[in-house]
Amino acid sequence: MIFRAVEDADLIPQAARGNVEAYNLLVSRWEKRVYNYLLRITANREDALDLTQDVFLKAYQNLRKLDDTSRFAPWLYRIAHNEAYSMFRKRRPETDVDELEPESTETGITVGGSSVFPMELTLAVASALERLSKEQREAVVLKIYQGFKFEEMSEILECPVSTVKSRLYTALELLKKELAPIQARGV
Amino acid sequence: MSCSPFDLKDYLFQELPANQRREVEKHVAACEPCREELAGLRLTQTALLALQDEEIPQRIGFVSDPIFEPSPWRRAWAAFWGSGPRLGFAAAAMLSAALVFATVNRPAPAPAPHSQTATLTAAEIDARIDARVRQAALEIEASQTKKAEQLVASVKQRDAAKLNELVRMASAQTEYFLQQNAELRSQVHSSNVLGEATR
Repeated sequence: MIFRAVEDADLIPQAARGNVEAYNLLVSRWEKRVYNYLLRITANREDALDLTQDVFLKAYQNLRKLDDTSRFAPWLYRIAHNEAYSMFRKRRPETDVDELEPESTETGITVGGSSVFPMELTLAVASALERLSKEQREAVVLKIYQGFKFEEMSEILECPVSTVKSRLYTALELLKKELAPIQARGV
Repeated sequence: MSCSPFDLKDYLFQELPANQRREVEKHVAACEPCREELAGLRLTQTALLALQDEEIPQRIGFVSDPIFEPSPWRRAWAAFWGSGPRLGFAAAAMLSAALVFATVNRPAPAPAPHSQTATLTAAEIDARIDARVRQAALEIEASQTKKAEQLVASVKQRDAAKLNELVRMASAQTEYFLQQNAELRSQVHSSNVLGEATR
């Protein structure tokens, strides 16, 4: 259990009043999660880092508009989602956002050096995620990797819970089929 | 297709209330296909979690440490001078302030003289032009007359000076001749006196 002397709910009002130290502390708690969320939906480290910086800058500028501090996480991810989609639109404005696919990296998303999972499984997962549609992948990332509730995902993605569930469950079925051969080999 | 009373995926993701969770657990315990389905979902979830989070390559914010950080004043000073954009912003702000000050303190413009001409008719404008032309012609004529008079006066003055000079020279010459004549007479007189004495 991680003991936190100061909760996010205490830091947010201070940061909203212009306390930079409080905001820096808040950023340090969330930057890795936001970066990884953006990394998985953009599949590009540089883009993910740039977007993360933009997200926290925008969040700082708009923090006073956040009425309910308990909604900070979905509010922050909503900004991140908007920033990512804004970037997609700028890069290919003539293309419908629904048709956009992220740039694929050479080896997919790599694993940290201390991973307990075999590299083959990691690469298979990265590859399977890349084959999902953008919406399906984002639903998986928000649920599996970020642990949001359906209601929060609905808020972040600005769509009904039923749509969120549909995207996630379709993606899960596809992933199950994609990863079954790997799992069957006992990796 | 699962025969569970509630969605197994909702159960997997802990989106069911406690009573529904218990019902699913009871059902799965008795239903082999649903048990296998749930096991497959769990395996997929575990496989997906093989993909671990990466460390962010560059920190977004800085959480200062009171032990190592400079004093608040020095930190603010360093932050100000160490930031190009902030300096640029400060310069732009000063320039803006100067522009605002200059705009606010600029003297009110004088009433436009041409505002009256806008209401004049073409005939009035022609009359004014004619008047100006006549006045200019008179001024030029007066100026030329004055110059001519000055020239005549100058010539007269110069001639008078020359005349005076000639009179003065003539007087001097006359005086010289008279003097010569007197000397000559004196000499003639002296020679006559000498001749008479000799005789």
